[in-house]
Amino acid sequence: MRFLRRRKRRACVVGLDGVPFHLLKRLADTSVMPRTAGIIAEGGLRQMRAALPPVSSVSWSSFMTGANPAEHGIFGFTDVAPDSYQLRFPTFGDLAVPTFWDRLGESGLRCTVINQPATYPARRMPGAIVSGFVALQLANSVWPAEHLPALERIGYRIDVDSQKARQDPDGLLDDLEATLETRRQAARYFWERERWGYFQVVVTGTDRLHHFLWSAVEQEDDPRHDRAMSYYRAVDGFIGELWDWFHKEQPAGQEGEGFVLLSDHGFTGVRQDVRLNAWLRESGYLHYAKDDPTSVADIAPGTRAFALDPGRIHVNVKGRFGRGCVEPEDARELRDEIAGRLLQLECDGERAIARVFTREEIFEGHKLDLAPDLVAISRNGFDLKGTTKGSEVCADTHFQGMHTWEDAFVWSRLPVPDEPEIADLAGGIVEWLCG
Amino acid sequence: MAKGFTLWFTGLSASGKSTLAERVRDILLERGMNVEVLDGDVVRQNLSKGLGFSKEDRDINIRRIGFVCNLLTRNDVVAIGAAISPYKAIRDENRRLIGRFVVVYCKCDLDTLKERDPKGLYEKALQGEIKNFTGVSDPYEPPENAEVVVDTAKEDIEASVQKIIATLEQMSYIPATDGRGYSEEEEESIKQRLRDLGYI
Ligand SMILES: Nc1ncnc2c1ncn2[C@@H]1O[C@H](COP(=O)(O)OP(=O)(O)OP(=O)(O)O)[C@@H](O)[C@H]1O
Ligand SMILES: [Mg+2]
Repeated sequence: MRFLRRRKRRACVVGLDGVPFHLLKRLADTSVMPRTAGIIAEGGLRQMRAALPPVSSVSWSSFMTGANPAEHGIFGFTDVAPDSYQLRFPTFGDLAVPTFWDRLGESGLRCTVINQPATYPARRMPGAIVSGFVALQLANSVWPAEHLPALERIGYRIDVDSQKARQDPDGLLDDLEATLETRRQAARYFWERERWGYFQVVVTGTDRLHHFLWSAVEQEDDPRHDRAMSYYRAVDGFIGELWDWFHKEQPAGQEGEGFVLLSDHGFTGVRQDVRLNAWLRESGYLHYAKDDPTSVADIAPGTRAFALDPGRIHVNVKGRFGRGCVEPEDARELRDEIAGRLLQLECDGERAIARVFTREEIFEGHKLDLAPDLVAISRNGFDLKGTTKGSEVCADTHFQGMHTWEDAFVWSRLPVPDEPEIADLAGGIVEWLCG
Repeated sequence: MAKGFTLWFTGLSASGKSTLAERVRDILLERGMNVEVLDGDVVRQNLSKGLGFSKEDRDINIRRIGFVCNLLTRNDVVAIGAAISPYKAIRDENRRLIGRFVVVYCKCDLDTLKERDPKGLYEKALQGEIKNFTGVSDPYEPPENAEVVVDTAKEDIEASVQKIIATLEQMSYIPATDGRGYSEEEEESIKQRLRDLGYI
């Protein structure tokens, strides 16, 4: 008897940071992204919810673990130290559960992951990893380190220079293109050189473009519209290239199987910032010990609640925080009161908050202790902030775009639930590769 | 929890094994670990005295170093081996024996090595005065499974040390320097990045 060895399955995941469902669809329909249009033509493109709060570190952590934030422990780009209220910045090491790449590794599959946000500093992987935002030095972003020289040769860029972006939008567009090109070269390098069963690359330039130049994306009469579209054309070319590489090695008749496109949150235009700490202060929940507070570490005793970016509100519970003053049994009532009042908050003559979730509604896991008591989601156009600067609640912003929660997207032939959330994808990918 | 492990340096003569072994030892000592270095040159004066440089003798030497590293490792000591160890099979044998085993491949091109030649050995070997000189008249099998590769021709000592320490931290052989994750300077850079994107 002879057995035909079943060909090993492979998966290729392409992440587009901050690309909303409707935008992707429109760019595909209007032939700015013809390759993507071809891929999604036969259906399978779905709107998807980001994790809460909808920022890349949380959402991508949910993607890479398949877990709720209260399990993986990443609730934002920042946290506070419970005793000092000093901001701390979670690292890849703070991720409290294994990634699904680790699980694939245990099944003997090697993974290559490029530019996944929230994976800095890079650590041992069954395969290879290049960390994404907030990665600092390239040397600490690459595992195993043997790939470092190749990336240096490419002139690999982790991210665009966002500091310059505001003053120099054309420079940003140049930078976006150049950064994408090094990403493409890095992908090519790893594609050819690594034996992998799972390959993932994330494009983060889309998110940067949206933050600074959303109107160039959205408005045809914007002077930079053409350049924004040509960036999207380049992204589309990259997607097409990955698709072609992938299918070269794929048995016929399995078109698209194992190929996944997704974003980690949506985007929309921003009208005003809503400073939650200023609102908490105005509403009598928060006091500062200084005239010029630089962070929530400067709150005064008696503060009952404070906010962290983007819409996280912590009740200052006794026992949980160093200067906590709210009795644990009163926390719920206070929190519900704040939630109710928040929904009334107005900026520019309009309600600014769409929903306020309590921690029990959205979080579950062994890290629930660290979770905010409330997570507010704004209405489109109002960007929630955890800054302690400024006393006016509604303020102008120099950004053009802001994150949204409900309109990320996913395209995949793998089974995906009807109303998918980003954490749902990992299970399907593992099942398909190993099942 | 096991604290010991073996850090195994391999590479041609003058590639940087002893230099890096000592630097890493000092850092680990400072972090409160028990560390021993087994340097090829020193071992050949006592434990392996009388052995030559035939393949057989080299293998015996590397097995002996591996044997001692294993005893140290299982007693929570960080054992650092720094010997040319040109043959893959014996290195792998030591890896199997010890388990908690991290290989640092000190890569360096021959031209740079000849130029360094701190012991004048390359010159002698090239003139035929030393037989069986690794890299000149004796084989070296580079490792394919090294946890760390340092290219000492291209990077300075500090960068190589950093790579090694970072890998040990990533692999959780040693605790990360700082429970908070980032140095103050790094935190400042991160804050700046987050501010630039309106994330704080
Ligand atoms: N990145 C680097 N890492 C280590 N050494 C370096 C590096 N760059 C330059 N060097 C220099 O290279 C030389 C390495 O010599 P060293 O004695 O450490 O080599 P070795 O591998 O132990 O050789 P041997 O096998 O003969 O004992 C030193 O002079 C060191 O200063
Ligand atoms: Mg030496």
